[in-house]
Amino acid sequence: MSDSEMDETTLRLERLIASPPEILFALWTEPAQLIRWWAPEGYELSVDALDTRPGGRWRTTLRRSDGSVLATSGVYRVVDPPRLLAFSWAWEDEGGTRGHETEVVVNFEAAPGGTRLVLVQRRFASQQARDNHTNGWSACFDRLTRIAG
Amino acid sequence: MAAAPRQLDSLFAALADPTRRAIVERLAAGELSVGDVAAPFAISGPAVTRHLQVLERAGLIERRIERQWRFVRVRADALAPVESWLSRQRRHWTAALDRLEAVAAAQTPSRKQS
Repeated sequence: MSDSEMDETTLRLERLIASPPEILFALWTEPAQLIRWWAPEGYELSVDALDTRPGGRWRTTLRRSDGSVLATSGVYRVVDPPRLLAFSWAWEDEGGTRGHETEVVVNFEAAPGGTRLVLVQRRFASQQARDNHTNGWSACFDRLTRIAG
Repeated sequence: MAAAPRQLDSLFAALADPTRRAIVERLAAGELSVGDVAAPFAISGPAVTRHLQVLERAGLIERRIERQWRFVRVRADALAPVESWLSRQRRHWTAALDRLEAVAAAQTPSRKQS
């Protein structure tokens, strides 16, 4: 990914983890593994779908003891073990309506002592949508940010 | 928090249209009358009105009426939903990766032992 694809609304997290890519990739893609870390403390997690093939659906539901429910879901775009995982991502509201859809790409790069994990989340729902926005979007946002700043 | 995704959706949807984006870019330079907003675009008055309505509903612009004149301007906090979405997602993923790292560590054989 080039820097030119980054903008003010792209989220990027990077960290070095002292575990091999194979272990980390399995933690993302196997339900029994995902369940061990996906949910924040105080939530009970159910993995409703985890069809780790391109085009396959995933959906997880978080339940709190007070009865509140928070689901996230999406579709896998790229599944390339143990290097790359890409999927769409959206919160769902209580009625099951999907919120703003974004794209998440997780890179698992073998590094000395473990894995360099890079997670990028973009606001656009599809490559095509992103391409359509390439021209003018960043400049527009620059101006808006100056105003909002 | 539940309203935020819809607000974000309408915000991005509003900006997905090239004409609306151009309108916002024009307004970024400062407040304009509705007539001045429409001037450079080869579209009808009602079409401009519709675009302005979409932008207003998305929270990107606001209108002001002064005597017989109608003005539009970009809202100062137009990008707040984007910023709050970003910080929410950053918190979400940072906490999730902390948990991932802890679980992975428990599964990774220590080099000293192996």
